[in-house]
Amino acid sequence: MKNTLYLLLVIVAFFSCENDKKSTKDASTLKEINVYTHRHYESDQELFKAFEEESGIKVNVINASADELIQKMVLEGEQSPADVLITVDAGRLHRAKAKNLLQPITNSKIDSIVPSHLKDKENYWFGLTKRARVIVYAKDRVDPMELSSYENLVDEKWKNKIVVRSSSNIYNQSLMASIIANDGEDAAKMWAEALVNNMARSPKGNDRDQVKAVAGGEADLAIVNTYYIGKMLNSKDQAELDAAQSVEVFFPNQEDRGTHINVSGIGVAKYAPNQEAAIQFITYLLSEKSQKIFASSNYEYPVNPNVENAEVLKSWGSFKEDQLNLSKLGELNKKAVILFDEAGWK
Amino acid sequence: MKQAGSKHINSLLESFFKLKRDINRWSFATLFILLIIAVPVFTIGIKLFDGPGQSWLHISDYLLPSYLKNSFYLAILCSIITILFGVSSAWLVTRYHFPFRKALEWLLIIPLAIPSYIVAYAYAGFFDYGGIYASFFEVFEIANAKLDIMNVFGLAFVLSISLFPYVYVSARAFFLNQAISLLEASRLLGVSERKSFVKLIIPLARPAVVAGLVLVLMEVLNDYGAAKYFGVNTFTTGIFRSWFSLEEPETAIYLSALLLILVFGLILIEKWQRRKIQYSSIKSANTKPNKKIILPKWQQFLICFTVLIPVVLGFFVPVWQLLIWAFKTFTQVLNPSLFWLSLQSFGIAFITAFFTVLFALVLLYFSKWNKITFIKNASKLGVLGYAIPGAVVAIGIMMPTLLIDKWLINQGLITQFLINGTLIALVYAYVVRFLAVAYQPLESSSLKVNNSIPDSSKILGMGNFKTFYKIEFPLIRAGMLSAFILVFIDTLKELPLTLILKPYHVNTLAVKAYEFASDEMVMQAAIPSLCIILTALIPVIFLNKLLLKNE
Repeated sequence: MKNTLYLLLVIVAFFSCENDKKSTKDASTLKEINVYTHRHYESDQELFKAFEEESGIKVNVINASADELIQKMVLEGEQSPADVLITVDAGRLHRAKAKNLLQPITNSKIDSIVPSHLKDKENYWFGLTKRARVIVYAKDRVDPMELSSYENLVDEKWKNKIVVRSSSNIYNQSLMASIIANDGEDAAKMWAEALVNNMARSPKGNDRDQVKAVAGGEADLAIVNTYYIGKMLNSKDQAELDAAQSVEVFFPNQEDRGTHINVSGIGVAKYAPNQEAAIQFITYLLSEKSQKIFASSNYEYPVNPNVENAEVLKSWGSFKEDQLNLSKLGELNKKAVILFDEAGWK
Repeated sequence: MKQAGSKHINSLLESFFKLKRDINRWSFATLFILLIIAVPVFTIGIKLFDGPGQSWLHISDYLLPSYLKNSFYLAILCSIITILFGVSSAWLVTRYHFPFRKALEWLLIIPLAIPSYIVAYAYAGFFDYGGIYASFFEVFEIANAKLDIMNVFGLAFVLSISLFPYVYVSARAFFLNQAISLLEASRLLGVSERKSFVKLIIPLARPAVVAGLVLVLMEVLNDYGAAKYFGVNTFTTGIFRSWFSLEEPETAIYLSALLLILVFGLILIEKWQRRKIQYSSIKSANTKPNKKIILPKWQQFLICFTVLIPVVLGFFVPVWQLLIWAFKTFTQVLNPSLFWLSLQSFGIAFITAFFTVLFALVLLYFSKWNKITFIKNASKLGVLGYAIPGAVVAIGIMMPTLLIDKWLINQGLITQFLINGTLIALVYAYVVRFLAVAYQPLESSSLKVNNSIPDSSKILGMGNFKTFYKIEFPLIRAGMLSAFILVFIDTLKELPLTLILKPYHVNTLAVKAYEFASDEMVMQAAIPSLCIILTALIPVIFLNKLLLKNE
């Protein structure tokens, strides 16, 4: 009896681990595309499935952080099975390009959809969705007239009133890079130092936690990404919903360069075995139908100008975007991290 | 002069003959296995000669002091808490009879099954605004109650509570196997129960406790998810910061080498200290079933309550929070594919646990049967993989195996990677990483086997294998089972390595949980996390039954 049980266990174990090697083996006969992605959203899985059905091309997905995916591609070299790389920020795409992992794509359809500041100058990568890094304030304690720009956050009046997450987060690094690009290195360092002085607590948690901290009264302002607020406002958790409803979104720098935005984007791998399928895949993700799904289920701003924003986003009104070319964010990323450390932003 | 020279040559010759005499097939076999295990570690080690990157100065100026301080605090605090919980609960469940003892005996292992970053999220959620903690206070009309546990102390608590089972498991295996008969002897000689425990059992349990503690510490120093969420910068934060944010893998490798030296140093100090004491010289192997002390009812309940504390903190509280989240998200997350995912995770963990225990066993005994001291010591290097962050191990695996894959492709033998992107690389990486988890309990249980028994068996003409199968195997079976369960659970929740090396279409529950959690959908991660716990329960219950039957 005992032995049969053992045997059964082993059989189940081996059976459940049977490799799907067939799908990668006959790559030439079966149409497929290998996607390395940092986006783990349900909207994406939905879209991949829809693409499979529509085009007959099988989508193989490897989910990991962009850094790990880039490292993997470097090691795999010419034999890398990756066709496209999807990241959640422009900086990482720039890094992939700098490491010679991507190839330029000239395609009139893609060019006509993606605005020029949301893609690589040489067409190595393209933005898929936008997110803005905004200030949220406690409705009951802050007069929005007092807010103006990121730079203004270092004002004395916000002493011990700001919460923001750690500097190891890429969204903060990109924001810092944009400030370096706009105000210069010295000013950026001073800004970071002064902001650390105004923090209500040492950086911890994620963006949602910052909103909760404002709602709970630990601070008056928080710097967060828009789509987290969208998700919180549609959350099934009462505490999250309450927290999100007690704050309001403010788009900074409307009087000058515009609010800092970043994109989640895509690039075709240099050694992509299925290059044509990859281009087809990208145009599919940029189509109005797909962009609508990004916008409605993930509360991101679509890059396709013909697609409307989700209702929540509409309620915040339209805003002026920083037109800085996003490649800059990648170029200045390392500098941003160094300045964060020097300024003592944990 | 001349004489001294010839003396020198003589001694050289002598050691050469010694080597020739002592070398046997076990030496080669040990070295071979060691090579397989150590290749990834050495690949990373070689990188050290490139020197640290340009950011090294920046890191050592601005970051290293606080990394060191935090890691040090964490190590100390976690050692204290895990020993406290692990040793006390192990002693109470083996020595005393009390209500729910059997259930608690295995429930004490289960906290290990929840990935520590999920425990961190669960506790943060528990004490957050609108959480369970706050709802207690709402009864008294206190609004916005919150306990901030997101600091180094909170982190130490969360990590300890999810890792103490390592200490519990190895301490319990020791207590079960032989402590009782020693204690009885001590009691017969008129020493009080408490004094015997403090003077006799605690010192004797040291190798077992330390073996568990080493695993705890390596895991603590390696933690990334929980520390990141709590905003506590540790050594591993530094590794990832220099690797990814500062784009300097060299500095990252330098830092992980430092970490490695630190951990290895700890192991060596312990081994050196232990050398003075001969642990295997206990004469009578315990064959009597150990009888549990039956105390008055109220004392039994007191004991039950004490043992419940770590179980409640490490299992019921996080699971309570996870269940609440699961209830809120099940319409969105729960679907049949989760079952398939559980099955896959189970299969992968089962295979990994099997091979890891096998490798650890082979390494342990081959090095024992071989006579060269150098190789005996070198076999300890096999445990190094556990001290390196999973993501770094993955790189260490990919570099050499890709060479083989690419060579095979160039030779026209294969068209697709044979090792990379298949289960081979994944299981290989797991074995490298978790060998220490299996090695430690095996080593400490094999230490207790009195050497004279296998020795006399060999004198009587039995071969190594036969001796092992007939004599040592039955004696270390408990240790083997613990090793299997630990590796199984560890594999179930492993993340960074799995993400990088997993084949397409193979997916695990841990990856699923991560996909949600990494996007701040912590609540949605609850259901996959609960599935991990359920899957982990299967071998724990099954093997524990086996263990109890053989007791």
